[in-house]
Amino acid sequence: MEDTFRKSMAWLHTWAGVVLGSVLFAVFWMGTLSVFDREIDRWMMPATRISPAIAPATAPISLDKVARAVQPAVPAGASQWRVDLPTERTPVLRFTYKADGMDPAPRQMEPQQLAFLPPQGTLGGSGFIFPFHYGLHLEWKETGKWIVGVAAMAMLLLLVSGVIIHRKILVQFFTFRPRKSLQRSSLDLHNLVGVLGLPFHFIITLSGMVIFMMIYFPQAYSGAYGEGKKARAEFFADAYGKYSRPRANAPGTLGSLDAMADVARREWGGTEPYFVRVWHPGDANSYVELRRSYAREVTMNVDQIFFDAASGKVLHRFQAAPVMSAQRFISGVHFIQFEHWTLRWLYFAAGLAGCVLIATGFLFWLEARRARHAARGLAGVRVVEGLAVGSVTGIVIATLAFLAANRLLPPAHGMGGEERAALEVWTFYLAWIATFAHAWWRGRAAWRGQAWTICLLAMACVLLNAVTTGDHPLRALANGNLAVAGVDLLLLALAALAAWSARRLAATPLQGSARQAGARA
Amino acid sequence: MTALLLVAACLASYGGFACLALAMPEHWEQWGGGSQRAAAWRWLRPAGLGLLALAYGLCVWRDGPGFGSLLWTVLISAAALAVAFTLTWRATR
Repeated sequence: MEDTFRKSMAWLHTWAGVVLGSVLFAVFWMGTLSVFDREIDRWMMPATRISPAIAPATAPISLDKVARAVQPAVPAGASQWRVDLPTERTPVLRFTYKADGMDPAPRQMEPQQLAFLPPQGTLGGSGFIFPFHYGLHLEWKETGKWIVGVAAMAMLLLLVSGVIIHRKILVQFFTFRPRKSLQRSSLDLHNLVGVLGLPFHFIITLSGMVIFMMIYFPQAYSGAYGEGKKARAEFFADAYGKYSRPRANAPGTLGSLDAMADVARREWGGTEPYFVRVWHPGDANSYVELRRSYAREVTMNVDQIFFDAASGKVLHRFQAAPVMSAQRFISGVHFIQFEHWTLRWLYFAAGLAGCVLIATGFLFWLEARRARHAARGLAGVRVVEGLAVGSVTGIVIATLAFLAANRLLPPAHGMGGEERAALEVWTFYLAWIATFAHAWWRGRAAWRGQAWTICLLAMACVLLNAVTTGDHPLRALANGNLAVAGVDLLLLALAALAAWSARRLAATPLQGSARQAGARA
Repeated sequence: MTALLLVAACLASYGGFACLALAMPEHWEQWGGGSQRAAAWRWLRPAGLGLLALAYGLCVWRDGPGFGSLLWTVLISAAALAVAFTLTWRATR
């Protein structure tokens, strides 16, 4: 520890940043992309690009027709089947079921004829990028979630200690001097996005941890409910709602789902259900669950109504208690599952600002030590530079490789859909590992090389999309496929920024890489 | 109407931070402002805070307290960054 409080905080800020900066960048990058995860889904699953002109998301869908369409796909003795209804951002229905330990991959259905779409052979944005954001795809004993949780705690510490060690927080509130040395200008940019983005970054980090309260802070409920599986289930039922009754093992029927939906709409002041789930289908004790949509409010309500499947009689209603409603509001602030395009774009921009914050933090660390470490023969800069390049430009390259693989691999008909999806994921990880190897081998020159790679890959993705699906940005715009056009245009913007920064790097090596860090995101 | 309110909220938050920035002597001079004792200069800070409050009002009017507060929180960060980049552009021109 250091002798003064400010010096101690500087020590904490430096070490927490260097050690956890890589994880934080990965979480921020994937989180920023998750803001548009459904749009990335449309890009990666061409069969689901249903133009709103053909099938408006608001068109009512008969749940009884949906039930008739999916029932042949539900095996006898299944414990449940569930259909998520189309929304503005997801114009297809999503069908899943569970039976004797079987939990097959979701299948998609187009909303007009209610026909199953062929498997798309990809995890897409919502299946790969979004889970990466909160769990790093390390599922064993929730390792990934714990690493992300530790990084989130570190982020809060970094934000607070950053404010404490900032000597001229008010005087330099609006200061950015890109023409100064790389060290100075990267610190300026770091301070600028750090201070001005502070409210968002603090809220988004804290709310992220509140979502996983049952993992990060189990003491909160186990203090009242006790330990063990049963206590957990009891807490879960009280907090999130749960109704169940056992199977009767006698044949039963399914009444009108549309009539049940009407009851639910009246109960919810006109709000639509967003999914329907039938428990013990075909059994005399079968029951139906409807969940209330949260498209038009911040709070991700957990309102649910259970009906007797045969008679349509209401068995159980649930609404969250006030404390839980607060948790659902905070979760809603983080998840942004509501329909609000202005906020969605602002979240995207603020997420990118977080990426810039972390990248410039790395750059400042490197520039402040480069000469000193070289003089003293220390390896620190070399090691951290490889880490920084691999985790900043490297993860961008890996993400683009993931998208390119999606358009290059043959359609899933011949091969199994899951094998194809796994190949895409492998492409991501192999590309990412390669960027780390390149960064440690090339050192400082790797920033520029990887910037050019980003530029080329981003353009290749747009080109591949146009060639394999015919949806070049102009056609996508004309058809109202804003999701596909948006992803393509953002890819082109990324390519332009990467090219510009790579050229700056070539012209003035010292100044260029500061631009590069800002532009890369 | 909602689009108009959004534009107004953006302008109010940008204008608010612009006033707050110009209320700082170095930015005032960099912008080529005159005497700092001018009566108008002393009004910049309260005007800036007032505009930010106005922006909050507009956001809540447009979207209600839940979405409005959230929108304002993120919008003013974006507006402050826009002001900072305007000052940078002005200084390096």
